[in-house]
Amino acid sequence: MLLFLIRRLLAALPVLALVVTLIFALVRLIPGDPAITLLGPGATDQQIEALRQQLRLNDPLPVQYLGYVGGLLQGDLGQSLRTNQPIAAEMAARLPATLELAFWALIFSLLFGLPVGILSATRPGGWWDNLTRLVSLIGVSAPTFWLALLAQVIFSLGLNLFPVSGRLDFFLEAPRITGLLVLDGLLAGRLDVTLDALLHLVLPASVIAAFLGATIARLVRTSMLEEIRQDYVNTARSKGLAPRVVILKHVVRNALLPAITIIGLKFAELLGGAILTETVFSWPGIGRYMFEAISVRDYPVIQAGTLMFALIFIASSALADVLYSLINPRIRLE
Amino acid sequence: MNKSRIWKLAIFGLAATLTLSLPALAQNADRDNTLVVAIDADPAPLEPGTNRATPLGSEVIINVFDTLVGWQSPNFDKLEPRLATAWKVSANGLTYTFTIRSGVKFHDGTDLNAAAVKASIERTKKINPYMAAYFGPITSITTPDPNTVVMTLERASSVFLSWLAMPQAAIVSPTAAEKFGDKFSVNPVGTGAFIFESYSPDTVVLKANPNYWRGAPKVARLVYRVIPNASTRRLELEKGTVDIVQQNGQLFSIPVEDIKALRNNRNIKIIERESQIIRNIDFNNLNLRGPLADVRVRQAIGYAINYDGLVNGVLGGTAARVFGPLTSNSWGFNPKVKELAFNYDPNKAKALLKEAGVAPGSLNLKMYTFTGTSWRDIGTFLQANLADVGINLTLEQPEFAQLREIHTKGNFDIALDGRQPWYNDPEAHITIGYLSSLAGTALNFRMPANAELDNLILKAQTDSKLADRKASYFKIQELLMAKVPGIYLFNPKIIVYHRVNVGNLVINTAPPLTEYYRVVKIRY
Repeated sequence: MLLFLIRRLLAALPVLALVVTLIFALVRLIPGDPAITLLGPGATDQQIEALRQQLRLNDPLPVQYLGYVGGLLQGDLGQSLRTNQPIAAEMAARLPATLELAFWALIFSLLFGLPVGILSATRPGGWWDNLTRLVSLIGVSAPTFWLALLAQVIFSLGLNLFPVSGRLDFFLEAPRITGLLVLDGLLAGRLDVTLDALLHLVLPASVIAAFLGATIARLVRTSMLEEIRQDYVNTARSKGLAPRVVILKHVVRNALLPAITIIGLKFAELLGGAILTETVFSWPGIGRYMFEAISVRDYPVIQAGTLMFALIFIASSALADVLYSLINPRIRLE
Repeated sequence: MNKSRIWKLAIFGLAATLTLSLPALAQNADRDNTLVVAIDADPAPLEPGTNRATPLGSEVIINVFDTLVGWQSPNFDKLEPRLATAWKVSANGLTYTFTIRSGVKFHDGTDLNAAAVKASIERTKKINPYMAAYFGPITSITTPDPNTVVMTLERASSVFLSWLAMPQAAIVSPTAAEKFGDKFSVNPVGTGAFIFESYSPDTVVLKANPNYWRGAPKVARLVYRVIPNASTRRLELEKGTVDIVQQNGQLFSIPVEDIKALRNNRNIKIIERESQIIRNIDFNNLNLRGPLADVRVRQAIGYAINYDGLVNGVLGGTAARVFGPLTSNSWGFNPKVKELAFNYDPNKAKALLKEAGVAPGSLNLKMYTFTGTSWRDIGTFLQANLADVGINLTLEQPEFAQLREIHTKGNFDIALDGRQPWYNDPEAHITIGYLSSLAGTALNFRMPANAELDNLILKAQTDSKLADRKASYFKIQELLMAKVPGIYLFNPKIIVYHRVNVGNLVINTAPPLTEYYRVVKIRY
């Protein structure tokens, strides 16, 4: 297994080199210029030229590229053109927010998607199946910002159950240990922080889970139905095994395999930051950060962010392969 | 369960509730003393050296730092002493001598003195490209004694004091700037009403400066919460978890329908002030092609526009009419401009077109403007107005950098844009907008050389007497109204929403930023 992981990582190196070069070229192809965008409509040519000099945008592209790659090799992601701050620190301040949201969104999605998918598959065409198919369809197709607004108006403004937006009540003054607030609350013995962080998480995580959970439910259902038709299921049934045992011990285990790959990739997508959800819920994550960077053409930030996404995708697909082998011992990683 | 056990449980429960709610009570007191302001994006950089006149960061700056001079509220028509208690301008307008307020300390405990002022201005001049235009003319700064700063300019400028009142001209603690280095942009240290406490991706926290020279702020803390989505800002305000929601002075952050709903909410008050921002149509005056070269055709466009419909319908009353090159709240505004301005008269427009020999439907124009739905809505409205008098208008909304290039290179006939002045002086609209030597160096009217107009603009820029400058600006406005270099449309209002228990809010107009040191939060 270790050998497999090392091989996977080595194979990833050329991919990363390609990503670095490609993204360096691509961000410079987007129409727009950081100096012009940062200074806004009121700026004069004189001010724009002075800023271009300062941001070293007038350097020839090869010089800029070598500087960038040289920095990367020393572990330096560069500085944001907009804030003048080191990108690594800015990312580190935002990554926990995205990570925490993605984690809870995945938990919510699995809590909804797995049982619903499995139950639907046991009686395809039954009332439960029809109902959940309808709900999943709504979940998959409803626009995120609409669901989010609806959730805020009903559960926050109307019923006063959850906060409208944000990660934590500002007045709680949370301890910052890992940046994952639910965990930090527990570590510091501040249950009020944990509880408040969870309350803040419910709406945004549910909005993401509405989509992801519905996707998982449909995926698991299809994959279960295929598996149920297999011969070994008939054999198990004819041996007189209880239907519950057949489904849970045999069918589910096999049916989950294809689901895991998709879930792994979806989770990786979530780590890239759910821009719409983060925007509507004022969630200070990576998605918002990238969105702001793209809108002002903050080249170094866009480059660093894309590089990070590439790393996350490579890591999560490797992880999915490992999970495969754990669930299905017939698959060996070599 | 017997009775005594129920009692014990009840008493225990009560005690537990009380103990648990003690911190909550302390928290509520804190809440009553904290002003929470919603903003729409990360405000960094938070100090004058690195901030490039972005509205959000500038507002943090004016609350953490002070400038040497500032505009007096609520009318913002007169400069008042801030960190400089007095100033003298030499007869030739080249030398400014400032007396620095004594006894003021920066938040890091160091003294404000002449040396600190010199170091601070020199630092900003060196590192902020945005300020190059304003601090560039300073040739030397000397400090003859600890309370006196003498600045010498390479050319006289009557707006120099207005430039010193800009947020980016604020005085920083040189000691702290050196100590924090690059990190100073997120660790600002000034002399202002609020002391910087923390910066994170979603909040900036400032606390009251008890020794502030204008008097300690009335709230203990000022918190900026980054809430990017306009509907979320509205919900937080309605819920009372945010005290103030700001528009950032660019078109509108909260949709017109939402503004109507907020007007009916009795927990929320709305402050509206006319800004000095101007939105207008501009013609390519350096290269007026085809029928547009005829002033009657340009006038016809002016008469074709339904200004009231635009301001009250499309913009839902969130804007006011602009009549000429200056907004009516500027001290340089010539009241005669109101008589000279176009009014909505489609028949007159048609008559003028006929006179100019333009047959209905024969004039096709492509109008360039910024991206975004607000600009598109305005453009569509103008399109319908012009169609009514027989002019075909199409709309193009290229990405900003591309738009800027098309505009500055002069590859257009007609454009829809405008200017937001960053300092409070008519010069901020007139010089950059109409001086022929600046044509094509920014989004402006691309005026061809005209000795009379150019000389008046330069004279108003250097005259030292306000009355003389006013006379020049009056004349300039009349000249421009006759030339029709553009059609002046509207001025987006600065709109601030706040909970009813917030008092003493004073809204600046140029730039549209708020100082919070006098703001109170009334407890119920």
